[in-house]
Amino acid sequence: MSARLVGLIGIVCLAGFALAQGGDIRVPTSAVAGQAATISAADSGTFYLLGPSVTLKKDVKSGEAIQLSAKELQSAGRYLVILCADSCRSAEFFVAPAKPVNITFLVHPSRAPVGLNNVISGVAMPFDEFHNFVATPEKVNFQLSAGGKTLMSHESPTQFGAAWFRASSGRTAGPLQIDASMNDVTARRIVQQVASEPCNLRIKGQRDAKGIVVETDPVRDCAGNPVPDGTIVTFTAKDGKDTDTVDAPVKKGIARAQLTTAGPVVVSAASGVVMGNELRVQ
Amino acid sequence: MNRWHFCRTVGLIAIAACCCLSALAADSSPQAVLNTTKTGPRAMEELTDKALLRDYTFAWASLEQALESNSTAPLNALFTGTASKWLNDAITTQRQSGVTSRYLNQNHKVEAVFYSPEGDVVEMHDTADYDLEILDGSKTIHNQHATVRYIVLMTPGADRWVIRQLQSVPEF
Repeated sequence: MSARLVGLIGIVCLAGFALAQGGDIRVPTSAVAGQAATISAADSGTFYLLGPSVTLKKDVKSGEAIQLSAKELQSAGRYLVILCADSCRSAEFFVAPAKPVNITFLVHPSRAPVGLNNVISGVAMPFDEFHNFVATPEKVNFQLSAGGKTLMSHESPTQFGAAWFRASSGRTAGPLQIDASMNDVTARRIVQQVASEPCNLRIKGQRDAKGIVVETDPVRDCAGNPVPDGTIVTFTAKDGKDTDTVDAPVKKGIARAQLTTAGPVVVSAASGVVMGNELRVQ
Repeated sequence: MNRWHFCRTVGLIAIAACCCLSALAADSSPQAVLNTTKTGPRAMEELTDKALLRDYTFAWASLEQALESNSTAPLNALFTGTASKWLNDAITTQRQSGVTSRYLNQNHKVEAVFYSPEGDVVEMHDTADYDLEILDGSKTIHNQHATVRYIVLMTPGADRWVIRQLQSVPEF
């Protein structure tokens, strides 16, 4: 009998302690974004909910379960609950992000010359379906592939919610596909690898009625990638006294120019930082 | 003599009043400090450090004005993306409920924890102290000195850094 009485007294004390601790408001302890939740209040009065993107106000009755819809709890963050009767009491709770379903993936640059070290970089950040940032550690796999071949695969844990990588460009011009994957979510970006500076410039020429026609062999970079059309090649003709210069764009891989000089002349070509062979024309 | 003494007294009172008003105005604006010593993988440039602090502090001042006046006008294009949407929704629903909120005496202790390799996104952790006052009409229903932790994502805009995500968390 006395043990039962002691037990009853203990339960009453605990209940009172709980009421004193949480006040008259019981809030969710593990709310997740996009999931409905319930708040209970011991008093009747005016109920307020202030969250990152929502403010609610409604009248509630004592003991009534206050339903918060999934839509009202979409935004992760701190929620303040206020219940005003004779006086106002408050409680707060946090809504955590849901599981990540989107990756914000930033990659630079959009075009990169081939054969350059650490020229490509990327950052991946996970978000849930309600655009809440997921800062809990996740593993992100970065994969670079071109021409159907995987050039690099690297797993990186997120730190403070962000994972990043640096990589060198390949040797072959063309699209470089970069994937960031986390669980079953993937984001893809394309970097266009373009030819580097021209390399091994070679020219040939011959006289015609108007002067000298000179043209280059197909202009390529050191990895053998044709330079883009429009790349300027400068042809220079020196006949001892005068110097004649013509800029010609590469068209379909070859730059061609007409030099209007008579007599013996030395023709050279340059593009970027590369100089080609010299041509002596009589 | 008496007139000169009177004018001098009035002048001194006016100067004192201006000083007091200036002091009050300075105290009411948010105060923030930014620590970039642990930022990576990219080291924070000195000018970027200053610009971030300037724009973040200004954003919080604008946020305070917006939520107190229930108007989006003070936001001044300092927020974009999710942060802008959340704030707009908060202000709209506050207005509909007749509620206003005031973020007074703000102090922000901010640490930049991530700066992307190309400098196009910054993540910061803000431990913010402020006096939060909630009013329903003219009646104060909540008054609290709060310490709230925020994860902040900022990206460079045309002429300023803008807040893209402002998300409160229980701990970092």
